[in-house]
Amino acid sequence: MNQILKLFLSMSFSGSLLILFLLLGKRFLKDKINRQWQYYIWAVVVLRLLLPFGPEASLLGRTYQAVDRAVARTVPLRQQSLPDAPESVPAPAAGRGTDNVHGDSPAGDFAAFHPFQDIGTLLMDHIWLVWLMAALGLMIRKATIYQGFIRYIKAGSVPVSDMEMLDRLSMAAEQASVKRPIDLWVNPLVSSPLLIGFFRPCIVLPGTDVSEKNFQYILMHELTHYRRRDMFYKWLVQFTVCLHWFNPLVHLMGREITRACEFSCDEAVLARMGYENAQDYGQTLLDAMAAVWRYRENPGAVTLSENKRLLKERLSAIVNFREKSKAMRFLTGALTLLVISGAAFIGVYPVVQAGSPEGGNPAAYDSQAVSPRAEKGGQGDMDGVGIQYSQMAEKGYEAYSLPLFQLAFCRLDEAEQGEWLDRIYADGEIAFMGAAVAVAEEDCAAIRNLAERIYEDGEIAFFSVLAPHMSEETLLAWLDRALEDGDISFQSVLFDALDRDEEYDELKEAQEEAWDEAQAAEYRAAGVTMDGKDYYYREQLVDIFLDMRPGKAFYTLSMNPEGTVNIRILRNDENEITGVAYMTEAEVAELLGESGEDSDDEADAETIPVDLDTIAAGESVCLGEYTLAFGDRIRYDILAETGTGMTVFFDRGEKNTVYWAAHNLRQEDEPLKCSAEFTVEPPIKPGTFKLYIQATYDTLEEVKGSISIVPADAS
Amino acid sequence: MAQQISDAELEIMKIVWANPEEVTLFSYIMEGLAARGKHCQKNTLIVLLSRLMNKGFLGARKIGRRNEYTALVSEAEYQTAQTKNFLDKIYEGSAKGLVSNLILGDLLAEEEYEELKRLLEEGRGRS
Repeated sequence: MNQILKLFLSMSFSGSLLILFLLLGKRFLKDKINRQWQYYIWAVVVLRLLLPFGPEASLLGRTYQAVDRAVARTVPLRQQSLPDAPESVPAPAAGRGTDNVHGDSPAGDFAAFHPFQDIGTLLMDHIWLVWLMAALGLMIRKATIYQGFIRYIKAGSVPVSDMEMLDRLSMAAEQASVKRPIDLWVNPLVSSPLLIGFFRPCIVLPGTDVSEKNFQYILMHELTHYRRRDMFYKWLVQFTVCLHWFNPLVHLMGREITRACEFSCDEAVLARMGYENAQDYGQTLLDAMAAVWRYRENPGAVTLSENKRLLKERLSAIVNFREKSKAMRFLTGALTLLVISGAAFIGVYPVVQAGSPEGGNPAAYDSQAVSPRAEKGGQGDMDGVGIQYSQMAEKGYEAYSLPLFQLAFCRLDEAEQGEWLDRIYADGEIAFMGAAVAVAEEDCAAIRNLAERIYEDGEIAFFSVLAPHMSEETLLAWLDRALEDGDISFQSVLFDALDRDEEYDELKEAQEEAWDEAQAAEYRAAGVTMDGKDYYYREQLVDIFLDMRPGKAFYTLSMNPEGTVNIRILRNDENEITGVAYMTEAEVAELLGESGEDSDDEADAETIPVDLDTIAAGESVCLGEYTLAFGDRIRYDILAETGTGMTVFFDRGEKNTVYWAAHNLRQEDEPLKCSAEFTVEPPIKPGTFKLYIQATYDTLEEVKGSISIVPADAS
Repeated sequence: MAQQISDAELEIMKIVWANPEEVTLFSYIMEGLAARGKHCQKNTLIVLLSRLMNKGFLGARKIGRRNEYTALVSEAEYQTAQTKNFLDKIYEGSAKGLVSNLILGDLLAEEEYEELKRLLEEGRGRS
């Protein structure tokens, strides 16, 4: 539940920034900008304060996460705590940090701290409750005060039965385009005209002896309030203020909106009636204030004049009312965009991301990490915590539990994270690598060092796992290096990470073209000419064209049944063309036989069909036992309709070790796919293995596909 | 029934009571008011009608976009209640005072006097 409070704190903070911005802007532009804009722009802030959404890439999302992580590091995991307990509100958490300093003092001294620590802990765990109770209390108080006010107004009110006045109200309503019939009451106890009721609106006048003109203005003002649904806006704001009661800026905003409401209403009335009436309208305000009698507080009621100081300002605003210039209108538009996009991109605490690693596998967390700790009792010293998390990481790694590992890993310090990354890399556990870097700090030293090693080793797969967690700057540096080295596969990964795929495609195309040209030139020198896809040797169309590089690393094979000759390019060990030879019948037969063999392969293959309705979260399903020999090829090709992660692996009952594990995550807009190919090679010893499919994070449904094992002796 | 209604509201009630039909339509009331030389705005009439409904004098049935109004209080009931109210206020509940005032004040025409007398006798015979 503290998660929700945290979300609210972040919303409150984001909202505060917007409030500050608007208040500051108001200082400079108060009289220049449309008053109605000044009123409605607050709605953006109110929405920011109420809606817990933000785009994934937000300005402060990362900041909130960083704060969160820092807090999680300072606050030790408490023995009795729930998974989300280490996170708490930043300020008190700092207090706990200082407590820990005392932990260094003698043990007896430390024991004395216990009761306080327990109370503190209890308070931290339930702080959201305190917040919620206060918010609820405030809301109830506001509602009852308003109800009391309405009752008070109604009790002393008499419906106006003067047909003439009612008729004028009807006409004013028509003029103000208010459709709903509005009732008209008189209550000598109200100080100024006001509008009450959400669905059965009613204007309450202090008395019936008002001049025709004043009456007209009063009606226009109140009807405008009604037409704009100001009561709903006001109550929405009150609701926001209650939820954000701890934030003084939000209270300030509430007051500001009340003021802006009257200003903008005045402006709307004048805009409708023509501003040559400004003086008269101001006079009405003054008349309305003649009887100064105020009820204690009336949140939610919309009155014609709230108090003297405000009245003064309103008068000056009314007299100064004029049509806004085009430039001003443009500026207003620009400002609106700025505020809205500011609200959208300022972001909130990303609950989903922060919550998922913890929510992912709570069972594993509870049973393996927390309970051993619980027996030891609460020595909340810093070293203990470090050891605890590294133990937890160890456990997660051994148990092949990605969520548990991830949970512990993100709380380790950078040096330990570095060690872990090295170990994972040495073990070739690409799934763990992905999990670890996902929670490590972006571009940290550990990632940079490892990237260096990986690049030198040419491990493109690992590099592609790291790339999304490097800063743009680092990626650009790598790209420069990859371009210099002419390493096309690294370039591909880097362009992809930088979201510059098109550039890569262009580059690749250019490179291929250059390569093709070089190739064609090379062939021409040997007497083979090319025309599109056709090869000619000694002016005869070539049927089979074979260019085998030394070591069979790479070969070009082209066939054209219309051709009349079969040729082969001869190369020396330096990869230079030494000549061209006609192929013998035997060579052709061997070549065709070889390429035909692939299909035979499949016939010998053992295909294990997979068709499972569901695999529960974290569960592994065994697909039988298989005996594998060196050279056997294994292919996974499985789809799942729902679920975010799937791991396929072989296990031979050894503790902590699984083989040929392929862990795949769902890509956007695609079913979850697990496809991989392995060959049984040393150092893994052949033998009998059990085959498993595991639902890594959540439940998998409609798991279909096949796993095939192609025996080595088939080829 | 203790509720008092304003003059404008009474005008409306009179139109509804005078309507021979079971239900009264909005336009009928509007025309009725115009016929009595009391033009009023549409919204005004809506407000007055809703006040009458709140006071329990009128009931409304919404059929599509039009309202059908029915009187929940008959004219006689209203008059009885008003008369009782009047008696209590002016004659402290004494009907005799009212009647003697009517006779002494010469407020009754000859035929009216005769008819009242007959009514009085009939009423005695019944009880």
